Amino acid sequence: MRFTPTELTAEELDLQQQVRDFLLEELPPGSHEPCLGMAANKDKAFSLKMAERGWVGMALPKEWGGSDRTAVDRFIVVEEMLRWGAPVGHHWVADRQTGNVILKFGTEEQRERFLPAICRGELGFSIGMSEPDSGSDLASVSTKAEQTTDGWIINGTKIWTSGAHENDWFVCLLRTSPIEDGNKHAGLSQLLIDLKSPGLEISPIPFLDGSHHFNEVTFNEVFVPDTNVVGDLGMGWHQNTTEMAYERGGPDRWLSPFSTVEQLLREAKGTELEETVSDLFGELVARWWGIRNLSLSVARLIDTGEAPSIESSLVKEMGTRYEQEVVEKLVHLIDIEYSPDSDSLFERLLAQCVVTFPGNTIRGGTIEILRSVASKGLKGLPA
Amino acid sequence: MTEATGVDQLITETADRLFTQICDHEAVQNAEAVGAAPEIWSAFAETGFPWISIDEDLGGSGGTLLDALEVLRLVGYHAAPIPAAETGVLGGWLLANSGHEIPAGPITVLPNGTSNIEASLSGDQMTLTGTCVRVPWARIAERIAVLVEVDGQSMVASVDPTDCVIQPMSNMAGEPRDTVCFEGTKAPAAPCVAGVNPEAFRFRGALSRAALMAGAIEKMSQLTVTYTNDRIQFGRPVARFQAVQQHLVWGAQEAAIARMAAETAGREANRGSAFFEIAAAKLITNQAAARATKACHQAHGAMGMTQEYPLHHYSRRLWSWRKEYGGDAEWSKWLGNAAISQGADGLYALVTGGSSVLS
Repeated sequence: MRFTPTELTAEELDLQQQVRDFLLEELPPGSHEPCLGMAANKDKAFSLKMAERGWVGMALPKEWGGSDRTAVDRFIVVEEMLRWGAPVGHHWVADRQTGNVILKFGTEEQRERFLPAICRGELGFSIGMSEPDSGSDLASVSTKAEQTTDGWIINGTKIWTSGAHENDWFVCLLRTSPIEDGNKHAGLSQLLIDLKSPGLEISPIPFLDGSHHFNEVTFNEVFVPDTNVVGDLGMGWHQNTTEMAYERGGPDRWLSPFSTVEQLLREAKGTELEETVSDLFGELVARWWGIRNLSLSVARLIDTGEAPSIESSLVKEMGTRYEQEVVEKLVHLIDIEYSPDSDSLFERLLAQCVVTFPGNTIRGGTIEILRSVASKGLKGLPA
Repeated sequence: MTEATGVDQLITETADRLFTQICDHEAVQNAEAVGAAPEIWSAFAETGFPWISIDEDLGGSGGTLLDALEVLRLVGYHAAPIPAAETGVLGGWLLANSGHEIPAGPITVLPNGTSNIEASLSGDQMTLTGTCVRVPWARIAERIAVLVEVDGQSMVASVDPTDCVIQPMSNMAGEPRDTVCFEGTKAPAAPCVAGVNPEAFRFRGALSRAALMAGAIEKMSQLTVTYTNDRIQFGRPVARFQAVQQHLVWGAQEAAIARMAAETAGREANRGSAFFEIAAAKLITNQAAARATKACHQAHGAMGMTQEYPLHHYSRRLWSWRKEYGGDAEWSKWLGNAAISQGADGLYALVTGGSSVLS
């Protein structure tokens, strides 16, 4: 494990400034209710505008509609969007992971079909991993794909599928051949599935505050053509593990409460802050600076061709716990009865943090699973 | 040179090898009992390491501040019981930047300022009266570099410790933190070059401790990974239990963020103004020390509470260093004021731009 300090080059700082200018113009402060990190609103028009500037799927090759930019460039764009609370929900999953999976494992035909549309900001993707009986033990997924003429017939259920009711496609981890000799990791494959397929039913699983993000997706004899199998049959576990590495350790794992903290300062106008709150700002900027440097160094490492899975697991575990700590400290120090319908934006955001942030250390792999991955890596064992 | 850190790789390798040879568990334990480690100091001094970052024509060993901080990181990593920071980036820096000669032996400084001391200047002679506490390694120092402000001008007096009364005291790791009484002590004094003043000294002290702490936390984390993989309970290494894995991961994270913070602050300080980065690095390493000692001790169980097992060399130093050159409260306050002065619209620019947006 080694996190090497890095810093932004002049070109990268220039990109940072471009993104800041874009946000100031498109979403001036006060013009929108900031979103809390990656659980952002879906705003296709906003995604299209970002795509026009080449900021969606930007690390994908130009050949497929991308911009051939680096992981660090993508880090910069994502960081600025999230700290601004921008509505990046529509393109989020495709930009962070699905595009990479299709590029890395997909066929030429799949790349042609999906990547340019992803980079134009048109397609929204969901993730089809968890099932009613498979959460952290993901290899136990039992939704089956059975081979038929020209394709596959799917039966089973996926749950916690964020945005399935609004998105276009999802990549599903499915069992394409039965478990042999107790090897759960073999016989799994990834399939690209149109969320409008006949036989596919989407029903909401309301979030604890009643909002609609999660869904249950039920497959009843859903047909998926052979051409939608991603990568090699039976290699789904490996591909899925690779995919998960893309979603760990980025700014989405430590920036979620930033808009809330910023809004506190905006509403307090500085001078009214109690000393304890002022000290808290000191603690927060320091920790954000430190975690950001770790996260940036992971992006830089990815650009050298490494797959820093231990480092990114460590950052994600730490970053998501930090997000919760920030909220706890705000709640502890600031003596107000915050509520989701308050006149104060800060109070509304804080209420939303309190209610939704328990999920931050669960989504995309619980911190318990991340600890297991990371601690094996610390010893040098295969994670 | 490694491009990323700007540190001469040879320095890392040589210092690591040297300390591995001379700073084993027994040697560090022995230094605590005796209150000094003359053999370790001699071997260290022979390499010229104590005076890295001080120009050769001023009596130093040359090299950059980054190189010196890398040595300090390794001093922390090996719990080397020597006044490395005091002799080099602190005391040596003060003497060299005020035209004083760099002595052949250890130097120390007054880490907590000189508000307790009366200083009067007559020509280039300073007379000092008062008592300073928690002075690192004063008992073995050849010079005490005393930084005082006289009529708004920062001056350094190069004091011979034999002209003072030194009462041996120690920190939690048994390292000397002596009480020094100046009783009309006379010493040659000279003005400092621009930029060398009590505020800059405070930040530099904090930077030195951040580097030491980053090293010690990394070592603790590594000891913990090894111990929990070797220790068998319930028929398997305890590192296989999720409840223990959490401590391993927390220790490793704090090691990572402490080193990242210390190295990034060092990089900025080597270039120019780094007030934000140093303040943030000291606060981060302070908090990392607290979190990592807790996690690593818990993972070690009772063995970590013994003198026989080396964990305490690092944990006790960390508990001491955390409070030196500013504890959590001092740096949170400084950083809080900096953050609030940026206002809401400048807050994130401070996180990404650091000192460059403050100046």
